[in-house]
Amino acid sequence: MFPYILKRFLYFIPTFIVISLITFLLSQMAPGDPVELKLKGGMQSANQQASDKLAGEKAYLDLSEKYGRQLPAFYFSITSSAEPDTLYKITRKADRESLARLIGMYGNWPLISHYYYAVRNLELAILSLPEDPASFEARKIIRDNCNILYINYDDNEIENILKQTQALVDASVTDSQQVSHKPLAAITGIFADVKTSYEKVKQEKTPSANYIPAIHWYGTGNQYHRWLFGDVPWFGPNTDITKHARGFFRLDFGTSYVDDRQVSSIIRDSLRWTLLLSLIVVILEYLISIPSGVILAIRSNSLFDKVYTIFLFICYSLPVVWIGTLLITFLTSDYYGDKLNLFPPYGLGKVGDEFGFWERVVDRGYHFILPVFTIALGSFAYMSRQMRGAMLSVIRQDYIRTAFAKGLPPNKVFWKHAFRNSLLPIITIFSSLLPAMIGGAVIIEYMFNIPGMGRVSYDAVVQRDYPVLFTILLFSALLTMLGNLLADILYVMVDPRISFNKKM
Amino acid sequence: MFGKKKQVSANQNLGVSYWDIVKRQFGKNRVAVWSLYFFYFLVVVAFAADFIANEKPYYCQYKGATYFPLFRGIAVDFGLANWQPEFAQADWVNMEYESAIFPPITYSPTTIDIVNSPFIGPFAAQDIKPGRRKHLIGTDQIGRDVCAGMIHGTRIALMVGVLSMSISSIIGIFLGALSGYYGDERLQVSRGRIILNILFLFFAWFYAFQVRSYAMTDALAEGFMPYIIQWFISIFLFLAIMAIPNVLSIIFKKIPYFGFRIAVPVDIIIMRAIEVINSIPILLLILSLVAVLKKPSITWVMVIIGLTGWTGIAKYVRAELLRVRSLEYIEAAQSLGFSEWRIIFRHALPNSLTPVLITIAFGIASAILVESSLSFLGIGVQAELQTWGKLLSEAREDVSAWWLAVFPGLAIFVTVTIFNLIGEGLTDALDPRLKQ
Repeated sequence: MFPYILKRFLYFIPTFIVISLITFLLSQMAPGDPVELKLKGGMQSANQQASDKLAGEKAYLDLSEKYGRQLPAFYFSITSSAEPDTLYKITRKADRESLARLIGMYGNWPLISHYYYAVRNLELAILSLPEDPASFEARKIIRDNCNILYINYDDNEIENILKQTQALVDASVTDSQQVSHKPLAAITGIFADVKTSYEKVKQEKTPSANYIPAIHWYGTGNQYHRWLFGDVPWFGPNTDITKHARGFFRLDFGTSYVDDRQVSSIIRDSLRWTLLLSLIVVILEYLISIPSGVILAIRSNSLFDKVYTIFLFICYSLPVVWIGTLLITFLTSDYYGDKLNLFPPYGLGKVGDEFGFWERVVDRGYHFILPVFTIALGSFAYMSRQMRGAMLSVIRQDYIRTAFAKGLPPNKVFWKHAFRNSLLPIITIFSSLLPAMIGGAVIIEYMFNIPGMGRVSYDAVVQRDYPVLFTILLFSALLTMLGNLLADILYVMVDPRISFNKKM
Repeated sequence: MFGKKKQVSANQNLGVSYWDIVKRQFGKNRVAVWSLYFFYFLVVVAFAADFIANEKPYYCQYKGATYFPLFRGIAVDFGLANWQPEFAQADWVNMEYESAIFPPITYSPTTIDIVNSPFIGPFAAQDIKPGRRKHLIGTDQIGRDVCAGMIHGTRIALMVGVLSMSISSIIGIFLGALSGYYGDERLQVSRGRIILNILFLFFAWFYAFQVRSYAMTDALAEGFMPYIIQWFISIFLFLAIMAIPNVLSIIFKKIPYFGFRIAVPVDIIIMRAIEVINSIPILLLILSLVAVLKKPSITWVMVIIGLTGWTGIAKYVRAELLRVRSLEYIEAAQSLGFSEWRIIFRHALPNSLTPVLITIAFGIASAILVESSLSFLGIGVQAELQTWGKLLSEAREDVSAWWLAVFPGLAIFVTVTIFNLIGEGLTDALDPRLKQ
């Protein structure tokens, strides 16, 4: 028994690692730069001074550090030898991606890096020019051009922009009206550097370097490790104030991109409702479907059995979305007659301390009738059918015939001898019920507007709030795995005939 | 060749083949047979959707000339023809035809009939243009015909079911067969081959995917088909590179240390993979996958449902192959010295595929359910596409629009039910206990 549990638990570990890798991969594939999105509100608008630019970069870096995005993604990376192992240190995602593209095209990182810093110098130089209304337009265009250069890798576009900038700089320098002061003269040298460095990148390209693989090792200071284990030491005091992530295993899931709330607190609040709803559904289901399945099996092939089986089949095929929509449409308003306005359409009802405990319970129950009915219908049908099948296969066995033959009353045979053994398959259903519950919760909670896990994950998808979404994904996978583990252990405990020692 | 001919003649001697028995058993189940007929009907509707519900007439007289706009429109969609200049910007609904023959439903799913919006029911007074027909089951918020939407939605529902299950079947049958036939002990590979394969896996991955990653992301931005083509190129490259170590290992095997044979636990690996996928709530997994796509579309939804739905089929095939592999004719094939692949795919698999039909039938039902749930949530489906789930979700906008709550949902329900019924019928037909 114990070795089995241990073995089962050891299998649990690789499965979890693979799931966490899948989740992490998804989070890395997610498009968009959350830091950029987050900063769009305040930083970009007043970006006219060099100090503002630097402040903006500082803010970007700080926020990146908060989300842990300045770290390399994984323990190691496999890249081409043209790519430096420090590319992740370019914090802005868009810059990093276009630099990677340039490397992919030309393969000479030192020159590309020189070009990148030349563009950066140009932007800073433009920003630090003294305020001057005459050249305002030109300066603004050049600055915008710099920002385009950062995120461009297409040769034609870069050439066009360089040409346009060149024209601006030339015009300002040779313009006869501005002989007294040439505002852009100060940057001609810097701009020439940009041009020559880009020319050099193109001339001295070594694309063959892209075809030689290289492995870089980063150690535990990476995003994946930080996500799961955190960067705060597990034991002893935290001496580094820049480190504050405690990691998935210490129930720190990071913060939401949308409102900066702790994901753990979002999950705690929402899990409550999903669990409550699921618990009611599961209890009701077991209470109704087990007896009904047994009775159906006992009376198999009677008219009652046939009619009821068809009824169950229909319930089983009923799409949750349809039932929910029908109930909401017809039973929650007085459009189709006053008598049909029976239930509240959505929400939780009375929340808060100003209502008494029992008042809240009653109101909550009232609000939960429709959602519970909608979820329970399908799985109730499924479970009854399973129970009927299990009971039927037990009733056909020899020992039941023996029990009848020795003259036991039918009720005793059915409920004492057959019932117990037919319960086994129901245990496995329990484990498959859990993921279905969490998945089904998305639709139910969306329809009835219940702020549970499903609703939160729907919102996270719509708002692209990846920390919340991926935490829920991993969390629910973990819950499901625990459910499976529990079911397997229960199975062995209930049925001693099953031996998993040989093969599980 | 030899084995197959023998088998056929043996069947002729008995007079009935396995398939005949299955067919006869299935035929006895009247409900299942009717479901099958209904499925055929749905297929016809799906294929003919453009001819049943379309805003363009089959035939029309316009300014003295005769046209066949509907057929031309389909040709244009396939890139075979171009519109006549007078129809390039045609407003089919408000055009004055001299005479015209329209399809039964005179609206396309995208036709916006502003006069009959929002939410005009089937029994309410409708302001219909001459030549057009009534909105049979009403309109939605912006005046689109619900019936037309449902007819075109049939195509999407069936496509989702069939395509995603095709993907699932290919993956599931392949992995299930490997897992069931080889188990944990049967796949004996020399140590040299394993080492070389792991080494080359790194290179193959690097050259096939890492180096080509930009080509692939560019193709992804272009559209779905270019991306698939790039994928095929990558996979081809990958396989080509992986062929090298397997050729090399023939030489390597000569060295005793590398020639030592180790059993690869195929079964454990594949069963763990199944457990991984089964552990993640499927709807949540699909939601997350859709969320990381830049441009989600119904094709992606199909692919994702297909890629996540193979576990049931794999388990089924595995169980069947576990049974089949110990049968005598497989042993005979082995003793004849046939290659392992030939035994699996020519001899063992065909005998264990019929029960997979059951899983496929149920799988199509659940794929349609998942797709309708996704489009009900408004996730992953393009805005211009009308699907059953999306029509159903429009009922949430207005309580009075009962036709939107009833009919699209009914369509989902009926389709799911017939696939479930076909599945049940197959289960009964294939159950050996019932065979006489």
